[in-house]
Amino acid sequence: MRVLVALLVIAAAPSVAIGQQRWARQVQERVQRAITAVGPSSRLPVVKRSGMLNTDEAASFQTTLLERTSYAIVAVCDDDCSRLQLTLLTPSGSEIAKERNSESLPTLHFTAETTTPYGVRVVMEGCRWNPCWYAVAVIPLGKNAPSR
Amino acid sequence: MASLKRWALVALAACVVVALAYLPPRGATPNGSSVFVAQSRWGTPARQRAQALAAEWRVADASLRLLRARRELQELLREAKAGTSLVVVSESADVAIATPPIADSAIRVAWRQLGLGETKVRVAVIIQLAVASAVHDRPTIEEGIAAYLAPDSTDRTTCIVVLPAGNYWTRVFRGAEVSGRLQFDAAVLTLKSGLGPCAFYAAYGTPGKSVRGWLVSRGWDLALTLDAGARGRQGNSPIGMAEARYYSYWEAIYSLPPTAVACIASRPEGCRAAVLAGASDDPAIPFPDIVRIDRRWWRRVPLLVDGQRFLADVAHEVGRDRFVSFWTSALPVDTALAAALKRPVGEWTADWERGFVRPIRLGPTPPFGGVAIALAIAALALAIVAGTASRRQVR
Repeated sequence: MRVLVALLVIAAAPSVAIGQQRWARQVQERVQRAITAVGPSSRLPVVKRSGMLNTDEAASFQTTLLERTSYAIVAVCDDDCSRLQLTLLTPSGSEIAKERNSESLPTLHFTAETTTPYGVRVVMEGCRWNPCWYAVAVIPLGKNAPSR
Repeated sequence: MASLKRWALVALAACVVVALAYLPPRGATPNGSSVFVAQSRWGTPARQRAQALAAEWRVADASLRLLRARRELQELLREAKAGTSLVVVSESADVAIATPPIADSAIRVAWRQLGLGETKVRVAVIIQLAVASAVHDRPTIEEGIAAYLAPDSTDRTTCIVVLPAGNYWTRVFRGAEVSGRLQFDAAVLTLKSGLGPCAFYAAYGTPGKSVRGWLVSRGWDLALTLDAGARGRQGNSPIGMAEARYYSYWEAIYSLPPTAVACIASRPEGCRAAVLAGASDDPAIPFPDIVRIDRRWWRRVPLLVDGQRFLADVAHEVGRDRFVSFWTSALPVDTALAAALKRPVGEWTADWERGFVRPIRLGPTPPFGGVAIALAIAALALAIVAGTASRRQVR
C-alpha cells in the first residue's frame, strides 16, 4: 500500500477517459441550457457551482452580487433527483428568498441593493439514487433591471 | 510386589501426561462460549494480550490502508473505462503488482453478473495476494477478513474494498492451480460475494440515514451478498446443511441468539426482532465508515440464519423501485421495510426463513411412544387401584 502511487502506472490499461460521470455531464448540460435560456448580461460573468449531495444534505457557497443589478439564480439536478431547494441568504445567514416548489428546477430572481457577498444554499430534498448531482448558476441580467 | 510398583508408576506417569495435554496453562481462561460448543483454551494472559494487540494493529492498519487508497486511487477511478465504475488493483506484501488476468477477468464478470455497469458510487477493489514467506515484523493478514470503506462527505462516490485472496486463491490467480471453467466460476462467485456492502452501494447508491445506521450497527450482516442466487442452492449455514438427527444441527441451534431460534420456529415476532436488531431512531454513522467483515461463515454467529442474503432477496422480491424507496427512506427501518414488502416484516421474514431451514418446534414435545407408554402406565395404575378398592369395599 505504501507504493500505491505506482498503481497509477501499473493499472493504467488502455481506456477511454471519460473525465466525469454521466450525471455530472448531465447537470452541466442542463445548467448551460438554463443559462442560455435566461440570457445573461454579456458584461458580467456567470458564477457556477456544482457538486453532489445525498438526500437531506445541503451545500452552500458565497458570491458577491453587485448593487442595482438583477440576477437569476437557477439550480438544476440529475434525473434521479426529485426535489431540490434553493435559498438566497444575507451575509449574516438570514434567508432572503427560498424556492422549493418547482421540484428539480428551482429559480430565484433578485436585485441586490448593495454590493456585498450573499450566500446560496442548495438542499437535496429528494434523491432516488444517492448521491444526486446538482449545479447552480448565478446569472446577472443587467443593471437597473426590474426586480421580480 | 516390584511388578505392582512398576505398574503404579506407569499409571501415575500416564496421568501426568494426560494432565499436561488437557489442562490449560496457568492463567489461561476458557473461551466462555456455550457448553454445547467445543471448548478451546485461549492461552495465557500474555498470549491473549499479544493477540489483542495484533487485532488492534490489524484494524488500524486496515483503516489506514483504506483511507490512503481512497486518495491514491482517485486518478484511476476518474479514468475508469466508459460504462463501468469498477477499478481493480492488486498488491502483495505492500507492493503494488499487476492484477493477475484471471482475477481481473473474474471480478469483471462478477460485476456484469450483478447487473452493474456505470454506477453513481464507484467501486475500487484492492486484491491482496498472499505472500509466499511469512512476515515477522508485523501480525499476519487474516485472510478471511475483508475491509470496506463506504462513501462519506469527503468522497460521496467511492467505495473501496480490500480483499485478502488467501493462499488458495493466490495460487489460482497466479496460475499454479488447474484453472478449469469450474474454478473460474468459483473465483467469480468468491469475488462477487467479496464486493459485499460496496455492491449494494453501487447498485442502489448511498442508503438513507436510518437504513445505513441499522446496517452499520449490525456489521452489514443482512447485506453481505447482492446476488444470493437461487434459494436453497447456496444455503451455507451449519443449520441449513445439517440434519436434525445429527448432533451438529442442535449444536448450531443452541449457539444462536434467542430471536434467531424463534425465527427458525416460524414465530413472526422473533423474526421481526432478529431483522430489526440494531435499528434506531437516532442512528450513529461512524466517520470514516469502515466495515470489517469476516467472510468465514463458520466463524460468525448469525442474528438471522442465512441472513447474509436477506436484503438481496428482499430486493429481488419487491423490485428495484420499491427497494430503492426503502433504501433511501427517511422513515424508521421497520416502517420503510414493511412498506416495501407490503407485509409486516416478521411475517415476511418467517416465510422467507422457511425457504432455507425446516421449522423447528419449540417448547416441550414428548415423543408419541413416550406418551403412549405413560398413558398405559397411568391406566394400569388406575385399574389396580380401582380393583384393590373394589375388593376392600365393605357392604
